[in-house]
Amino acid sequence: MKKELEHSFVELLEKHQNIVHKVCRLYTNNYDAHNDLFQEITIQLWKAYPKFRGDAKFSTWMYRVSLNTAITLYRKSKRTINTQDFEDVAFKIKSDAYDDTEEEQLKILYKAIHQLNDIEKALVFLYLEDKDYREISETLGISEVNARVKMNRIKTKLKTILNP
Amino acid sequence: MDELDLLKKDWNKPSDHNKLSAKDIYPMLLKKSSSIVKTLFYISIAELAFWIIINFIPYFASDSYKAKLDSVYTNEYVFGAITTFSYGIILLFIYLLYKAYKAISVTDSIKNLMKSIIKTRKIIKYYVLYNLVVAGVSLLIGFYYAFTHDPELTDKFAHFTTKEVVITSMIIVVFTVVFILILWLFYRLIYGLLLKRLNKNYQELKKLEV
Repeated sequence: MKKELEHSFVELLEKHQNIVHKVCRLYTNNYDAHNDLFQEITIQLWKAYPKFRGDAKFSTWMYRVSLNTAITLYRKSKRTINTQDFEDVAFKIKSDAYDDTEEEQLKILYKAIHQLNDIEKALVFLYLEDKDYREISETLGISEVNARVKMNRIKTKLKTILNP
Repeated sequence: MDELDLLKKDWNKPSDHNKLSAKDIYPMLLKKSSSIVKTLFYISIAELAFWIIINFIPYFASDSYKAKLDSVYTNEYVFGAITTFSYGIILLFIYLLYKAYKAISVTDSIKNLMKSIIKTRKIIKYYVLYNLVVAGVSLLIGFYYAFTHDPELTDKFAHFTTKEVVITSMIIVVFTVVFILILWLFYRLIYGLLLKRLNKNYQELKKLEV
């Protein structure tokens, strides 16, 4: 029974791991911290999995557990050796489809988002994941109106950073 | 185009960066969590154990202490009532903590999860506060008892002028208060450090509701 559960969990996580990676990318600055947070989120997901009823989408359920772990449960890694910084590596866009200015803009945008506080990051994350304001407000535990207002403020903030 | 829409385009591109296989994930399930809830849980267990030991071990470990206590509590009913009360309080805190931990759910909304962790921390805070008050009161009663009943001390005290008595009493009170205060600051520091980020984020969320 446990083996079956383990198997189905690993299969689902493997399929949806990109969600967790994106959260880690948003909340950490280097590879060690990224892996550390990924590990902690995996444990939290696994611990909560037996109660996962399947009435919600696995990905939606993952958003909550991942964000809750990144924002609240996770204690920053004690490892202090900073390997390569993400700014230069993970966010470097190599696609030829972008022209220089767009690439430059994206780099600045990612940098700007990294400077937001934990709650703002969560809002941006869910927005980027195409979640509607109902789901965003439910995940954060605030009203829909307040989620909208805050999101607009973040957009203005980013606009100012990009076009000073 | 909206800045975030530009980002969205890039964000949702499939990425193979850091991609893990099932083989990488299995060992991860066996690792131990290092979440703040777990740390909080260990601290609360240590807290419970520490104060239980402080309260009861001397009584069971030392016969002379027991004899002294028995002489203080000449009334058996009073002693029985105090013991029952102490155990009752400990049981109550264990129950409240158990309930608080059960209420912490990682699938809750971000705000509710923070709320339930803060509530758990508050229960530990009240438990510590209760013990500090009891420790303070016991210290003061202990001093009072020593000065009024200990033959050696009462003898010394008898030669004191009123001024000296007042000064000694003040020193004792100040000593007790400082002792309790230092302990309290120590606790605040531990929890302050542990929950600094959580408190900051909780305030941030609350600010959104104004």
